[in-house]
Amino acid sequence: MKKIIIFCIFLIQSVNVYASSFLDLVERKEWGDLEVVWIEDNKFPRYSAMFYFQDGALSDPFPGLTQATFDQLSSGSKKENQREISAFFDFYGTKVKTNVNHEYSTYSIQGLTKDLDPVVTKVCELFKDAQYPEKELNSYVSRSKSHLKNLVTSHAALADRIFRQVSLQDTPFSLPAEGNLSNFDKLNSSILKERLTRMNQAKKVLYLSGPSSALKMKDIILKKCPWSSHANVQRVELKKPVQQSAIYLVPVSGANQAQIRIGRYLTESEVKGKYDNYLFLAGFLGGGFTSKLVQELRVKRGITYSAGAYVSMQRDYGRAGIMTFSKNETAAEAISVVRDVFQDMSSKKFSAEEFKHQQSHQIGGFAFGFEESEAFLSQIMIYDHQGRNLNELVSFPSTISSLTMDALAKSSLEAFNWDRLTIVVVGDKALEKSLSRIRPVKILKFTDFL
Amino acid sequence: MKFYFMLFALLFGCASVKSPKTLSGSIKLDVKELKLSNGLTVLMVPNHKLPIFSVQTFYKVGGKNEVPGITGASHFLEHMMFKGAKKYGKNTIDFIIEGSGGSTNAYTTNDQTVYYENLPSSELEKILDIEADRMENLLLDPDDFSKERQVVLEERKMRYENSPRGQLYLELMQELYSGTPYGRSVIGDISDLKSVSRDQIFTYFKKYYAPNNAILILVGDFDLEKAKNIIEEKFGKIPSSPTVEGAHASLTDEMFEPKIKKDLIVAKKGESPSPLFMFAYPTYKAGHPKGYALDILASIIGSGKSSSLVNQYVLVDKPISTSIYAAHQSLEKSGFFFIGGELVKGVKLKEFRESLKKSMQSFCERDITPTNLQKVKNNYLSSLYSGLDTNAGLASFLGERHSIFGDWKFYKEELDLYESVTLDDVKNSCLELISKPTVFVTVWNENK
Repeated sequence: MKKIIIFCIFLIQSVNVYASSFLDLVERKEWGDLEVVWIEDNKFPRYSAMFYFQDGALSDPFPGLTQATFDQLSSGSKKENQREISAFFDFYGTKVKTNVNHEYSTYSIQGLTKDLDPVVTKVCELFKDAQYPEKELNSYVSRSKSHLKNLVTSHAALADRIFRQVSLQDTPFSLPAEGNLSNFDKLNSSILKERLTRMNQAKKVLYLSGPSSALKMKDIILKKCPWSSHANVQRVELKKPVQQSAIYLVPVSGANQAQIRIGRYLTESEVKGKYDNYLFLAGFLGGGFTSKLVQELRVKRGITYSAGAYVSMQRDYGRAGIMTFSKNETAAEAISVVRDVFQDMSSKKFSAEEFKHQQSHQIGGFAFGFEESEAFLSQIMIYDHQGRNLNELVSFPSTISSLTMDALAKSSLEAFNWDRLTIVVVGDKALEKSLSRIRPVKILKFTDFL
Repeated sequence: MKFYFMLFALLFGCASVKSPKTLSGSIKLDVKELKLSNGLTVLMVPNHKLPIFSVQTFYKVGGKNEVPGITGASHFLEHMMFKGAKKYGKNTIDFIIEGSGGSTNAYTTNDQTVYYENLPSSELEKILDIEADRMENLLLDPDDFSKERQVVLEERKMRYENSPRGQLYLELMQELYSGTPYGRSVIGDISDLKSVSRDQIFTYFKKYYAPNNAILILVGDFDLEKAKNIIEEKFGKIPSSPTVEGAHASLTDEMFEPKIKKDLIVAKKGESPSPLFMFAYPTYKAGHPKGYALDILASIIGSGKSSSLVNQYVLVDKPISTSIYAAHQSLEKSGFFFIGGELVKGVKLKEFRESLKKSMQSFCERDITPTNLQKVKNNYLSSLYSGLDTNAGLASFLGERHSIFGDWKFYKEELDLYESVTLDDVKNSCLELISKPTVFVTVWNENK
C-alpha cells in the first residue's frame, strides 16, 4: 500500500508539470463569429479540423433529420453532383466524419496540409449550396432503412439502441439521433435545406491542429463559409428516473448469448460538479481487466468475455450503465453478479487496495490523453460543451488523488441504485424463465425499436 | 510554448518528415536494433514527447502453426499469457500494468500473436521483467485454464456463431483455403477448444514462445542505454527454442496455396435478414511485387464513396447494396482479393454474382486512370501519417514488417514499390485477377 501511495505522489507531481505545459499549447482565437481552439502540431504535414455546432438532434421535429442533413451534405450542390463531390474528397485523401448527438453535432475533416485550400473551399461550398437532390435522398432513405432492418445481425448494436430508448423513455433524449424506420420517409430536399440553414446559424467552434500553415483556412472560412454564430442552447430539465420493476427481454431468433444492458439516465443536477467522481466510478467498475465487473464476471466465474461500465455526460444529462453478455445458461447469474457488485459498492464493501489501485491507474493513464492532438482537442471540446474550465482537466490527477472511499460508495449509490436501473436483455425467448427470478419480465419486440 | 512542442517533434526522431519527393523519402525512422545471442530481436525508438512508452512483443506463431486437434491453441495461449508466470503469479500481471496507469491487450492472427502495453515511463524495467518472465515461465494454472476455456468459447460465439459477418469470413477462409492451414479458424473449432489439454498448450508454448521466435519493440520515453542493459539482463538468459526454426521451415508456401480450380458458390443460412456476401480471388503472399498493384486496385474499386463499387451498386437510384468495399488481404504465405458487403433484400444472389464478375471486367478497362492512381497515393500518405502518430502505432508498424518480412526496413521497399506501380501494372493485375477462379459466399436467413 505504501508503494502505491508513493507512486501516486510521484505521478501527480510529474503529470501536473506536463499537463500544465500542454494546456499552454492551446490557443483560443476568434475568426469573426467563429471561435477557434488551436494546437500547433508539426509532427506531420497534415491537419485535423473539427467544427462543433451547438445544435443537435434535440432540435429535430422527427428523429434523424440532423443526421441526414450532415450525411447527405455531399449528395449534390448547385455546381456538382454526388459522384463529383465524393471523388473530390477521396482524391485528396480527406477523411470526412460527422457526429450528431442530441445536444451538439460535429463535422470533421482531416487531410494533407498541401491540399487544404481546395478542401476547405469545398466544405464551405457544400454548407452554402447543398441541394439534397431527391434522387440521392431516396437512395439514402432506402439504404438507411435496409441497414436498420438488418441491425438484428448485431445483437450488441441492437441492445444499445433498444437500451437507449427504454432507459430514456419519456425524455427527449430517448429518440435515436440516427433516425428510425417510421420517419425516414419524411425527409425531403426542402426540409433538409432548412435544417442546414439553421445549422449554419448555430454557434460554432473550430478545434484545429496541424502545422502553422493550417491556419490558412481562416481566410477561406471567413470569405466562403456561410456561417454566422448565434447561441442556440436548448436546455432540457429532466425528472429523476423513477423506480424500475421489470427486466425488458427482447427476443431474437438463434441467439445463444444474451446481451445485457443495465443503467439509467442522470439529471443535470446529479451530474454537475461530479464529473471526475463519476469517471472514477466508471473506471473502478468497468475500465480495464482489473475492474470490478471484469474480475467478478470473467476472471472469477468465466461467464463472459467482456464487461464494461460508463458514466457519460453531456450538458443537461448523463447516462450511467454497464454492458456485458453471457451464454443463455448464465445470463441470469451475470445480472445477479452485477447487482451484488452494485450493492457491495454502495455499502463500501471494497478494499482500500482496490481503491488505491484504481487511483493510480487513472492518474498514471492521464498522460495518454495528450499523445494525439486530435484526441486532446476532442477532450477540450467536451469540456467546452459542458461549460467546464480547462483547469479542471489539469487538476484531474489531484482531484482523483483526493477522492475518498466514502465518495466512491456515494457515487455508486447515486448512479447505480439498483431499484432505479433499467435492465434490457437481448437474447433467446427461453431466457424469460431464468430472468423472472430476478424481476418480472416484460417482452419487447425488437422491430418496435427500429 | 510552441517552441517546446516543436522541439519535441525534432527530438521525436522516429518519424520526422522530409520533403516528400518520394514516398520512401517522406518518412525517416530512426530505429535502434539489437540482437541478443539467444536470437531475440529488439527494435527501439526513443521519443521523449511525453513520459509514456509502448512495448509490443510479436511472436511468430498463429493459426497457421496449428494442426487439427489443437486449432485455436495460439489464441487460447494468448489468453493464458495474462494469467500469470513464475515470478508474476496468478492474476497479477494485469494488476501491475493497470495499477501504474497502463493498459494492455493482445491479438492473434493467422500468422502472429502480439502483446502490447502502453505505460508511464517509470515502468520500463517492470514491464520488461514481466514479458521475460512469461516468455520463459508461463504458469498455465489448471484452474485458470479451465475457466479461460469457457471465456474463449464465449468469445467464439460472439465472433462467429452470433455474428453473421464473422460467420461469413470464417466460411470464406474455410472454402478458399480448404485443406490448408489458413482454412482453419484462428479462434479454434469448438470441439478442439473443449478438448485441448493443458499439456498440449504447454508443449505448444515451449515450442513457439522463445527469444528466437520473438521481436520486442519499444517506442517512447526511455533511456536507450538503460533499456539495452535491462533487456540483456532480463531476456538474455532465456534459452532459445531448438525446434521452432524447423517448424517454420516445414511450412512451405505450397502448403498454403488455395486449391480451388473452378468457381465456387456457397450459401449458408445465418441470422441476417439481408444477404451478406464475400467474393474472393486467390492472389499472392505478402511482399510479392504483384500484390502492391492489387492493393492499389482494391483502393480504386472499393475504397471511399467515389469507388467503382459504391458508384455501381450503392449510390444509384435503386441501390443493390447498402455497403460494399474491396480489399487485398496479404498473409505471410498467401493472399486473396475480396469484395464484401451487404445486399438489399430482394436482390437475386445469382444475378448479383454475375453482375459483379462483369463489373470487374469493366472496372479493369475503365477505372484505372491517372486520377485514381493519384487518389490512392494521397490516401496512402494520409493513412501512413495517421498510423505513425502514436508510440503504439509506430511500434505496430515496425513489428508487422519485421515479423512478416524479417526486416523492419522493408517499409522503404514497400513504399518504393507503391510508387513504382504504373497504370499498366494495375490494369494487367486486374485482368489477371479476373481470370482466376472465385469463391462467392453468402450468409442470409433465407439461404437453405
